[in-house]
Amino acid sequence: MHISADMLFWIQQKRWLLIALAVGAILYFLVPHPQSLGQDGYHILIIILMTLILILKEPIPLPAIALQLIFWQVIIGGSTPNEVGSYFMNDAVFFIMGSLMLAVAIVSQGLDKRLALGIIRLTGNKTWRIVAGFTTISAILSSFVGPHMVTAMMLPVALTLIRYTSSKGQSNTGLIAALLFSIAYGATVGSIGTPTGGGRNVIMMNYWAEFGSGSLSYLEWMKLVYPMVLIEIPITIIIILKTFPPELRVLDTAIRHLTVEVAHAGKMSVKEIFSLALFTAVLYGWIAQSEVYGLGSIALMGIFLFLTFGLVSWKDLSRGVNWGVILLFGATISIGVQMKNTGGAAWLAEGSVSFLQNLIPNIDTLRAVVSVALSGILSNLLSSSATVAVLGPMVLNLGGDPILLGLASVISSAFGYFTVVAAPACTIIYSSGLVKAPDFLRAGWKMAIMSVTSLALIGLVWWPLVK
Amino acid sequence: MTKTNTPFDPKSLKFLTAVSSAEYSKPTLKMGALIASVFDASHGVVYVGERASEFHGSSVNLTRQNLDNWNIIHPGLEVLEWALQELKALSPDNEELAKIQFNPDHVYEEDGRVRVILPDDKGCRIELVLREGELVDQLRKEIQLEGYDLAIIGGSQNKRHLAHSILQYLPASVFVLQKFNPQKKYKLLLLVDDSSATSKSIEWGAMIAEKLGWPVRTLTVSKTKRFGAGYQGAADKAKAYFDSRGIEVEQFFLTGDPVRTFVEFAGDNHFVIMGASTLNPVKQFLFGSKPIQTLKQTDVPIVIVR
Repeated sequence: MHISADMLFWIQQKRWLLIALAVGAILYFLVPHPQSLGQDGYHILIIILMTLILILKEPIPLPAIALQLIFWQVIIGGSTPNEVGSYFMNDAVFFIMGSLMLAVAIVSQGLDKRLALGIIRLTGNKTWRIVAGFTTISAILSSFVGPHMVTAMMLPVALTLIRYTSSKGQSNTGLIAALLFSIAYGATVGSIGTPTGGGRNVIMMNYWAEFGSGSLSYLEWMKLVYPMVLIEIPITIIIILKTFPPELRVLDTAIRHLTVEVAHAGKMSVKEIFSLALFTAVLYGWIAQSEVYGLGSIALMGIFLFLTFGLVSWKDLSRGVNWGVILLFGATISIGVQMKNTGGAAWLAEGSVSFLQNLIPNIDTLRAVVSVALSGILSNLLSSSATVAVLGPMVLNLGGDPILLGLASVISSAFGYFTVVAAPACTIIYSSGLVKAPDFLRAGWKMAIMSVTSLALIGLVWWPLVK
Repeated sequence: MTKTNTPFDPKSLKFLTAVSSAEYSKPTLKMGALIASVFDASHGVVYVGERASEFHGSSVNLTRQNLDNWNIIHPGLEVLEWALQELKALSPDNEELAKIQFNPDHVYEEDGRVRVILPDDKGCRIELVLREGELVDQLRKEIQLEGYDLAIIGGSQNKRHLAHSILQYLPASVFVLQKFNPQKKYKLLLLVDDSSATSKSIEWGAMIAEKLGWPVRTLTVSKTKRFGAGYQGAADKAKAYFDSRGIEVEQFFLTGDPVRTFVEFAGDNHFVIMGASTLNPVKQFLFGSKPIQTLKQTDVPIVIVR
């Protein structure tokens, strides 16, 4: 058979797809399932392994990864098409869909210019205060609306400041990194604070409900986790300023330029005020009514109103939302549920506990370490939401308190400070082209140590007091 | 649309220069502009940036849309803006080129490819394109889309790693500009053997030597002490071609390992031209080829003609 250069190129580009399929085929045809795990559970784990390879290396488009998850569950996973479909859409997926659309709706209003003005009034023109302001505002906003929306709104503010501080022959790499990382790390640190801070939080809530592990209201989540956000904010500011010392102590000219630029926006229009009011109503709904109506339904209700009142067009929403990601979350959650139903999650949990029991004899510590370490490591390779979707069922089968273990897993999945892929905020600042991958390592290890210590502190001191 | 094995028609040539930044790509762009000008070829400049993980594609797109509202241009467009200014500076007498204005709002975006629209481009035949993704994949797509004949690429730290992919998968001739010094007077070294790609590389060599006024040397290397009729015939054909165009040529016949001999002979003062390998793609992939090994081992500018 003659293989052309085109075919060879295709093979090279798709090699990770071929490797995933080969691994799957070897495990499926040549390796028998373990005695302690049923055939369906084994097959589901094979599908998950293949999917992890595909998500990690992205040899095919994301929607295609989602689609293969669906049909493999039916073909080799022992599930019926309706079973897969029934787990595909749920409140977590509605929430992810709704929050992505809300981000488009809010960002398109131009409210970020108001936000910029507010921050400047608060911080003044001293660089350290601006970095502190960016970190704090990003963290607090992100804890309620998610890091993607906050970063999308904050990045232009930072880039405008950078533009007006840049001059030929002068390198402001420290200042640039400090401003950008204050947004990314601030938003990431904040994203654990409430259930709506990120898709992964809602996925875990969905697993709790699905597996009968209990539940947490919006305010109960905040009571358990928000103190950690408050501890982390000042330490994050110090880490950023120490790691990337800004070359300029004062950003006088840049602030003046930014103020002038923002002032061009004029007074708040009725449309802006109405958008803000609508979004506040959605936020109120999440905090006060989500136990009754669900986070996803409330987000979709908000989008319905935005569309109805003409505040955003469907064209803008459909263009701004990556539907492939929504498809992937639906498919990942459905396989997560199947992992639990077929016993695959319990088998993995028992396996990791018995493997590590000799090293860590205390079972509670062992569960916490497995949950935190696996989530933290995997989130730096995949993304935090995919990590929770895949690991959630296993973590909830480790034994112990599923709520606290689930929370520990969700929180540690936000420790993706080392790489650009882990958190949306990190990917966004990286896509500006102004920070490099090694910068994430320079600050990331300090952030990781700080976050693990904060989590240990909260888990050992705060949770026993309030739970 | 790929132009391989087409008759050599300098008037319809299309060259593509890949740039990465104002800091590192100046010599590459300069040579690209010079070569395009001597061949009277249309000239595309492409910047290939990193693509964000598709997982966070929504967030990155949303941010970029918002950056537009703040008049902050798409990362990478500033490199193309620099490239246009640089091209203007390189051709101060070109009045048509001087009229072209860069406007970051005038872009056409499709399938991750951003093309800068140059409304005043009358006859300058310049394309500015931004792409995101893996370098070889994106260059290949651009070459296939626009039918480029020659891709001009700067020598980089990743050369050894990329040499294989660049030479095997780009469907055009490739010019890798490593350690190129515009002030230096190079000798053009044409590697001649009995492969079918040699005749086209002779034509390219003649054009470059003629336009740049460089002295020409041909080198034929045999693994044994005997030079077969094919090798001798190819060398004679090359000499005859250069003679017919009035270009003086020195011929060299050496024995030994071809790649090592090419590299040693090229030293640091030659500009190498050789034909692409005609080996089966699988064999090239597994064992490499003379052009791939030469590119990996030499540090002089090299054109591999396809």
